[in-house]
Amino acid sequence: MRRLLMALCTLALTACATTPEPAPQPEQATPVTAPQPEAAKPEDPEAFRAKMPQPAKPPDLVLPTFEEARLDNGLTVLVSTRRQLPLVYVGMAFAAGSAQDPAGLAGASDIAYKMLLEGAGGKDTIALDNAFADLGVSPSVSVNPDGAFVGVRVLTRNVEPALALLSDVVRKPTFAPKDFERRKKQQLADLVRRMGSPSFLAQQAYLTAVFGEKHPYAHPVGGVPSTVEKVSLQDVKRFYQQQVGPKAAALVVTGDVTKEQALAWAQKHFGDWKGAAALPPVPPAPPVPPRELVRLVAKPGLEQTFVMVGRPGIAIGHSDEYALELATTVFGGFFGSRLNMNLREAKGYTYGAGAGSDARLGVGPLTVYSAVRANVTGPAVTEFMRELTDIKARPITSQELEAAREGLIRAYPGSFETVSGLGASAAALFFKRRPMDEFARTVAGLEKATPAEVQRVAEAYLNPAVMQIILVGDPELVRTQVGPLNLGRLTPVEVAGAGAPAAAGKK
Amino acid sequence: MKAFVAAAVLALGLPALAQEAKPLEPGREALAIPHEKYKLKNGLEVILSVDRKLPVVAVNLWYHVGAYHETQGRTGFAHLFEHMMFQGSKNVADDVHISMLEQLGATDLNGTTNFDRTNYFETVPSNHLETALWLESDRMGFLLDALTQEKLTTQQEVVKNERRQGTEAAPYGIAHEKMWHALFPLPHPYHGDVIGSMADLEAATPEDVKSFFRKWYAPSNATLAIVGDFDVAKTKALVEKYFGSLPSAPKPEKPQVAPTKLSQETVIRHEETVATLPLLTLAWHSPAYLSEGDATADVLATVLATGKASRLYKRLVMDKQIAQSVDATQQSLGSQSVFSIEVVARPGVSTDTLKKEVDAVLEEIRKNGVTAEEVNRARTRYDTTFLAGLQSIGGFGGKADVLQNYNHFIGEPSYVAQDLARYQAVTPEQVKRFANDMLRPNARVVLHAVPPQQAPAAPKENK
Repeated sequence: MRRLLMALCTLALTACATTPEPAPQPEQATPVTAPQPEAAKPEDPEAFRAKMPQPAKPPDLVLPTFEEARLDNGLTVLVSTRRQLPLVYVGMAFAAGSAQDPAGLAGASDIAYKMLLEGAGGKDTIALDNAFADLGVSPSVSVNPDGAFVGVRVLTRNVEPALALLSDVVRKPTFAPKDFERRKKQQLADLVRRMGSPSFLAQQAYLTAVFGEKHPYAHPVGGVPSTVEKVSLQDVKRFYQQQVGPKAAALVVTGDVTKEQALAWAQKHFGDWKGAAALPPVPPAPPVPPRELVRLVAKPGLEQTFVMVGRPGIAIGHSDEYALELATTVFGGFFGSRLNMNLREAKGYTYGAGAGSDARLGVGPLTVYSAVRANVTGPAVTEFMRELTDIKARPITSQELEAAREGLIRAYPGSFETVSGLGASAAALFFKRRPMDEFARTVAGLEKATPAEVQRVAEAYLNPAVMQIILVGDPELVRTQVGPLNLGRLTPVEVAGAGAPAAAGKK
Repeated sequence: MKAFVAAAVLALGLPALAQEAKPLEPGREALAIPHEKYKLKNGLEVILSVDRKLPVVAVNLWYHVGAYHETQGRTGFAHLFEHMMFQGSKNVADDVHISMLEQLGATDLNGTTNFDRTNYFETVPSNHLETALWLESDRMGFLLDALTQEKLTTQQEVVKNERRQGTEAAPYGIAHEKMWHALFPLPHPYHGDVIGSMADLEAATPEDVKSFFRKWYAPSNATLAIVGDFDVAKTKALVEKYFGSLPSAPKPEKPQVAPTKLSQETVIRHEETVATLPLLTLAWHSPAYLSEGDATADVLATVLATGKASRLYKRLVMDKQIAQSVDATQQSLGSQSVFSIEVVARPGVSTDTLKKEVDAVLEEIRKNGVTAEEVNRARTRYDTTFLAGLQSIGGFGGKADVLQNYNHFIGEPSYVAQDLARYQAVTPEQVKRFANDMLRPNARVVLHAVPPQQAPAAPKENK
């Protein structure tokens, strides 16, 4: 699950990292016992270096534990105790996300949740922000397709006032008309700003290509200009009334706290919260049509081409989940994956290439991506397709599989170090409606997946014939280089604002 | 890399901090990081700190060399060299360093270069500590045995792709580079950015790699920190086994670079081709990391642009609604820092309008200062942030990084109390004086990065 949450973040690498990109090891760089150097004569005191050390017995896996309780009003309370430092994360997870945007109003949920921080409990935007600042924090709200989350990490001594503020934010938002107008304009301008990012342009075209026009997962969380333009304050209030309430929310408390303490806090600040909102329906599974088009978003003169290749993958809890996690890891989930070793280390086409399956509450996308040097766009796309085809022609070796298995399982404890990380994990469990022992089940699932199962799943899901291709780059260059590859009809796609920088008109 | 700051002390001429770190005030004991520091015969410094929260160990190496130490015509070399350190050494096969660590479950695994230092780090399951030490010692001692032109050529390509991703094809990437050129004209080593220029990246030769390695990657110019769940005596023996016999070389001299000064306003107008909204950046030289005024600069940056109630956000984003975002940063560097303000315009708003508004906010502070309340809020924020950093043993801002950072700049790994004391000492009066003395209009670079004007694009949905 850790990797599912992170799958698409890898392109935002810091400037000077020798990047970890997300999967194990192609054959040409066989995992390693070091070669015996000629100089390794017995009397050489440095000869011991020629052999990789034997690891000691592995430590027991320490996985985080989450405790769950429910108040009388239906509010879920999720707690994870971690007492080393006087820090606590408190947050509210909401079960409705951008998948619940009303038809034609993509972006409404995003604005609705952001309005929670634009004044609440009698405090205006500035007074509310200052009240949080006095506790040493600036809260922010994150909205994703399956839910939303608002919260803060505070020193233990500041938990009570933080909860009081959080309670106002969740239960008594002001929804003032002038704040709404400002927030909406800011959202529209933000969409214009994001059109400057090649990866965002790709993502926008990608979602429609993979899910089809009308699917709840087919639009970016923030919406698109034409839909955000239509969102009214009434829409936003209606969204809040219909979707937000104790039966569709979870209070998350992690860090320096016990379950009893957390429940007492929950009762005090949220015990009398009322509301009828219920968990929204699970988005339907989209069809998986064969590829007919190669979609091209024009960005003239761009020095790199952003390549995104993908399809609908699986929903969380699907029986193929763990085998697919292993397969995508071998293919493109680690730095040492087939795709990255080929495109980055062997060919020098890119700074990094990766792949990941985002298992959502409904069927989420399975995505392969890279930003490649513009003048090798054709050869790079050819390598993408070759690697996908090779999953069948050159099956996953037992070495590759075991490396991925061991790497994923053993990396687990290290990925739950912070109270905010624990909080985000708890929120994800709530959005995806998973049992509290999900992480132990994941480890067991990864341990049990058989080589035959992994190979079957790899061939089924990484089948290049049903992979949609999106390219963002110089249109002339893409036409010359990718046109002749016969991967589908090269089709220009217009995403709002692409190739047309500057003023998006009205203020 | 920002963070851990400690100024008053430098002004006093660095009193003997060595042995006793200042005791932490009641309620702040959690900030202490118990550790042991010692040196091997070849000069390698070692810092050990036990933390048994999880069965993992962070291995973290700082080489005391960054872009600051490069020679002219070789910009980007320190970072390019960092890539070479992952390409294999005498006893470790080509290109497997990262894969091997991934396969045994490592996290927080990377190498990074900035102006002042280069670091390498990984957090491994505790039973694999020896493997991490083996890997790190092999590249420290035996990198050149496995160096080839072919490997260098591949990494030159990879780094040029990294530069494209972060500069040429990134919003405002080229504009930012122009600003750094103006702030630090050659021969200053902060000229440009850490990533370097395409021409210099092209020009690098295996000879450059060899001489860079010999000069800067000696054990005497490095510090190894190990933090996490390990046995101290056994680990000391392992450190001795893997690092003790690596040949010694004298610690290299740090280059002396005269500080750069701007004596007039430098204006850059850049035609932006990637980003879609105009950007205004104002940048000034400011006091070096941990020197007098560095903490004051952090406080001012927070007052200006952190949170909706901050001065610039409130005026430009909330009240006048002419800006999409504001940012203010003291980028603390070892030789000379940079204080900058960045504002992204709303569509249709000119950067000249933004500049007038930013100047009005600065003028207000120069005249009337900031409130005690604003300074207090900034301080509370640092307390929480410092403590939060200590949750992780490795990675950026984790315990190993904190110990290394203070050790690198001050020679004392436990400097947290002194660092926080710097912030406690900042007064509204100092913030006001900083705005007057350091942020002068005639000593700054002004960058306007403006996309070409076009007819308003009617927003369209996908067809």
